[in-house]
Amino acid sequence: MLDTEKNKKFIGATQYVLDEELASIVNVSMALEMPLLLKGEPGTGKTMLAYAIAESLQMPLIVLNVKSSMKLVEALYQYDTLTRLNDSRFSDSTRDVSNIEDYIKMGKIGQAFTADVRTVLLIDEIDKADTDFQDDMLDVLDQMEFDIIEIDKVVKTKYRPVIIITSNAKKDLSDPFLGRCNFHHIAFPDPKMMRRIIHVHFPNLDSDLVETAIDTFYRLRELDAVEKRPATRELINWIRALDADPDFKPKKLLKGNVPFLGVLFKKSQDYGKALQQTERRRLF
Amino acid sequence: MFVDFFYKLKETGVPVSPTAFLTLHKALDKGLVRSLDEFYTSARTILVKSERYFDLFDQVFAHHFKGAEMPDHEGFELDELARALLDSWLKNPKEIADALGIDEKDLKNLSPEELIEYFKDRLKEQTEEHHGGSKWIGTGGTSPVGHSGYHPGGMRVGGVSRNRSAVKVAMDRRYKDYSLSGPLTQAMMGEALKRLRNLVPVGPKDQVNIDETIYQTMKNAGEIEIVFDRDLRDRLKVIIAIDNGGWSMDPYVTVVQTLFDYTRAQFKDVKTYFFHNTIYSTLWEDAPRYKKPFRMENLTRIDPETRIIIVGDASMAPYELMAADGSIHLEERSGKRSIDCLQFLADTFSHCVWLNPISRNMWDYTQTILAIGNIFPMYELSIDGLEKAVTHLMSK
Repeated sequence: MLDTEKNKKFIGATQYVLDEELASIVNVSMALEMPLLLKGEPGTGKTMLAYAIAESLQMPLIVLNVKSSMKLVEALYQYDTLTRLNDSRFSDSTRDVSNIEDYIKMGKIGQAFTADVRTVLLIDEIDKADTDFQDDMLDVLDQMEFDIIEIDKVVKTKYRPVIIITSNAKKDLSDPFLGRCNFHHIAFPDPKMMRRIIHVHFPNLDSDLVETAIDTFYRLRELDAVEKRPATRELINWIRALDADPDFKPKKLLKGNVPFLGVLFKKSQDYGKALQQTERRRLF
Repeated sequence: MFVDFFYKLKETGVPVSPTAFLTLHKALDKGLVRSLDEFYTSARTILVKSERYFDLFDQVFAHHFKGAEMPDHEGFELDELARALLDSWLKNPKEIADALGIDEKDLKNLSPEELIEYFKDRLKEQTEEHHGGSKWIGTGGTSPVGHSGYHPGGMRVGGVSRNRSAVKVAMDRRYKDYSLSGPLTQAMMGEALKRLRNLVPVGPKDQVNIDETIYQTMKNAGEIEIVFDRDLRDRLKVIIAIDNGGWSMDPYVTVVQTLFDYTRAQFKDVKTYFFHNTIYSTLWEDAPRYKKPFRMENLTRIDPETRIIIVGDASMAPYELMAADGSIHLEERSGKRSIDCLQFLADTFSHCVWLNPISRNMWDYTQTILAIGNIFPMYELSIDGLEKAVTHLMSK
């Protein structure tokens, strides 16, 4: 690895507001070449962080979206037996049927390991998968290599990817897995941080609108008994909706008239509760 | 070297591993850490693997590098309870004063610290002469935290400020809220209960089994042989019995409601029954417990593979459980001891659990919890407890 590349430091990206603490955590993890496990409420920018790192360090980003039924092998490589069977019966392809390697396709982790440059590998929502998935991944992350059983070939990393793992904290991850990661919990941004985030997304927006919208947003988040509280993503969409509505005036919010509640509350129960409470109590 | 710091963390109950400690030294060695601030972030990100321990880490850090006072961990539980009491006190002094049988005015002039001491003493008294789940012990964990509540003596608790220096940040204890086990939400319960499934094949063979197809085709020397399977469906029967009676369960109603809603959505074959405090000869199908009785004898007709989940605080006067006519409801007195009825349930169904919303470390103080815990495997109604309960229910 080139020296300059090694000394690359992450300092934020155009669409991502970074706090100092997180920046130094990312840099430490990169220098130690350890995966960074991020936890936190939905909408705190866990996934966006990986995009931001890739953008600012100009590395290709490889995203592995974990699904509940996923096996680790699928993420590493796939042996395409069906194509091989097909080729062997109707030999009309350029592939060599006797060479199994022609039928091995790299999965997302495999792609990150075999890439010719250092990549950012985002393993998104790892908690969705079985604990088996994490346990199997231990060795892969530890050794930074895996074995293709069918052809008995070991795939080693050319450049250790920057690995970002996110978890929605639905389940606790296993201890040995945690032992191999660095950990950070991203707290929900406070209003001050939120203003900066909104400013990054809407640099030209009327400050009156932004102020009242953020203010209302934080009050709505505090409503009782809401199952899924609105997060940053919802706020951004909501502001976009407010901005697009020609009839909307920020004063309306102050009077307790909150339009487009459906953008903020996605569950019908939550929506009902929010509607009821904003209307009845005139909270604002 | 920070070895002391490491051991202090370990002592206070932060699960730190030597490997992680070595990694931290690797980071120090590489020159990645140049200031105390950076040490704080690096040490936390490398050593601490769950936000639940962030608060403890903050406390130890502040203690080690600044000499801040360490919390007394022996009295910790009591401390938390007293603090919860203080919070309720700040919200509604009169209610608490009445409940504890003290005069509101007497306490008006005490400082928060003195108040906590006072509550602690009261709690100690209470645990000694405990009559099955005193309300204040019970609500200990669930009481909402009112930071800006009203204190008759004119004092605010808590408050947020943010500083740049690591020690000050640590002393802020920003992660205090995460250190308590979080509330159960529907999504979390969903995750825990997902494993509560018993998939069995039913219906016509209309699913292609690809692995088997490939295998059979190979055995057939390449002549394609397609293998079909039946669909897998969940055939698990679940019975939930909920203690919905009396004030002792009141604080947990929302939690139980979530569990109840979720199981309804998750399983097709779910029956819900209600009872008060403990089970005698009858369970009730309706929540008010008077319209639709369900005799215990009828349970023998139900598939013994049915999973039984009982939710209740298991806290009551011992005679309610042990005496032949223990029920506080006259019509329920059948001459059978409740504990025998429970034993009957445990004998009939091989997979039973009791979920208790009271935090585990309070169980030892209540006789009836211990007695029932001997009959059913008892788990805390928290994410961890739920997971363990599900594991038990699915064990063969």
